[in-house]
Amino acid sequence: MTSPSAARLPEERRQPLFSGVEWITLALVAMSFAIPLLVTNPQVLSQTNLILIGATAALGVFIMLRMDLMSFAVPCFMALGGYTVAILGIQLGITDVILLGIAAFLVPAICAIPLGALILRLKGVYFVLVTFVLTEIVQLLLFEGEPLTGGANGLVGMPAVTFFGVELFSNAQVVLTTCGLALVGFLVTAIFTRRFRYEFAAIEKNDVLAESLGLAGWKYKAIAFSVSAGVSGLAGFAIVNVLMTAHPSSFASMSSVNYITYTIVGGKGQILGPLVGAGLLVSATDYFALRGEFSPGLFGLLIIVVTLVAGGGLVGLATNLLRRRERKAGVAVKELSRVEARS
Amino acid sequence: METFIATGLIGVSLGSQYALLALGFTLIFGILGVVNFAHGGFYVMGGYIAYYCSVVLGLPYALALVIASASTAAVGWLLENLILERVIDDHQATLMVTLGFNLIIATAVLVIFGAESPEFTFPIDGVWRSGGIYIPYANMVVLGVCLVAIALVYWLVYRSNVGRAMRAMAEDRAVASALGMRTKVLFPFAFALATGLCGMTGALVTPILALSPHVGDPVLAFSFLTVILGGLGSVTGATVAAFIVGLVDSYAAVYLGGSKGALTLFVLVLIILVILPQGLFGREVRRS
Repeated sequence: MTSPSAARLPEERRQPLFSGVEWITLALVAMSFAIPLLVTNPQVLSQTNLILIGATAALGVFIMLRMDLMSFAVPCFMALGGYTVAILGIQLGITDVILLGIAAFLVPAICAIPLGALILRLKGVYFVLVTFVLTEIVQLLLFEGEPLTGGANGLVGMPAVTFFGVELFSNAQVVLTTCGLALVGFLVTAIFTRRFRYEFAAIEKNDVLAESLGLAGWKYKAIAFSVSAGVSGLAGFAIVNVLMTAHPSSFASMSSVNYITYTIVGGKGQILGPLVGAGLLVSATDYFALRGEFSPGLFGLLIIVVTLVAGGGLVGLATNLLRRRERKAGVAVKELSRVEARS
Repeated sequence: METFIATGLIGVSLGSQYALLALGFTLIFGILGVVNFAHGGFYVMGGYIAYYCSVVLGLPYALALVIASASTAAVGWLLENLILERVIDDHQATLMVTLGFNLIIATAVLVIFGAESPEFTFPIDGVWRSGGIYIPYANMVVLGVCLVAIALVYWLVYRSNVGRAMRAMAEDRAVASALGMRTKVLFPFAFALATGLCGMTGALVTPILALSPHVGDPVLAFSFLTVILGGLGSVTGATVAAFIVGLVDSYAAVYLGGSKGALTLFVLVLIILVILPQGLFGREVRRS
């Protein structure tokens, strides 16, 4: 036991539940509930769906990047979550959104544990390649597993989900469901990454050193992989709910590139990053779509420019600017007080 | 039995194509430490340049092949020099840049040539037959060119001074540049060599298989598979693995059918990775 007079370690100090940026992010996601209530424009509603689904999926990438692992496996877990919901909804007639949400989170999260045991030993580029291959495999399995997954037709006819017996059927209600799933995803991610931030930071900086200092790296990696899979599963649920169909093309392996792009362009350092990235890039895609076939190229150009100009993504760039300004202000205040003290 | 042999020969021919693609990919990774997500893009670019030169401009196919290789190499050289060089030490940044560039190539091809796949066939037709075995001459030409190219790459990497310098940089960049290897010259050179190989493969193979703006994505996936199997950064590994992948691919396509061939390969590679994370010929997992 430490004596009461001894200086306490920083982590022993009572920490606030969330940091400022995390509160802002959660508030933004929570505010999205207002959109379907205030707006009836179908364009805006579908845009909201796309942004929130993209942002939730990007959280899967964000969580793994806490440990410097770039995961291409998000669509694979989205597919697990989405198909679970579709099978439960279509074949078993379960429509309760809470039950389905729990299933969409738990099934991928549980599947991720044995998978993680296999692939979490890999690092860096190998992890990138293996998760890419994994997503390809799942894509092929969806096509081949006809009796369960409906093969190339997918599973069609997902019934509307119900919330305490109320059917969420209209356009606005579907967006509300997406908002709810996104909020749960963001809450889980925020709590999880906040709770283990020191462990993740240690693994990110130098995992060998962290392990030699007694941190069970594999444990945190496995938990994170599992939570990342669960959150991705929620995004898969949201897609299936919006399209009323579970189809392999919703979970194409190249779509993992989008989620990674949202995270990196938005900023991988803060949970706000995936939200900003998804918001900006989904809107950009929509805007670029006015230019028709140029759209992916402009998207690619944007990725390159942001990577070159803002290494930490847009949120990283903004926090750097703020900090620099604060520091300048701080220096000015110090100067001022020194001058005052002298005079 | 004849089907078996014929399938094997197709497999070898496929393997030689994969080998060229994988060699480029593995050179870029081994020397620069960059995972080139634009690899499929360069393949498509090579195919379209060859198509434009030989079909639209009416140049001889051999010349079109040379132009396609040279221009993809030039684009690769520019990409490395102008953009990748700035972020070369950050593997996430290089990944993002190549991903972005892949999208740009795909769009450029789509805008210039349209989404329809153009009429582009190999200039030599006819089939060589002996007993029940049929092999198109086109495949034999491709196989021959690929084997020559592979031999040249080997000579360059293992027998020339440039190759020694490149291998030294792959081993330890800091020490190699302290000893006078010029990063500023060799990195773009290696990148251009790799993209040139990729463009050449595109120019050779697309007239036989298919040419459309999206044929690059499977190429990327197969390059990944091959280099994982062979061990990232290992030249020998990439070559051997490419032939394994080619053979498995063609046998599975004939005897299992559908996408089961690809599935078999992917699962095989996943298992190998779990048992031997460094691949069949990789010495160690490169930290990057």
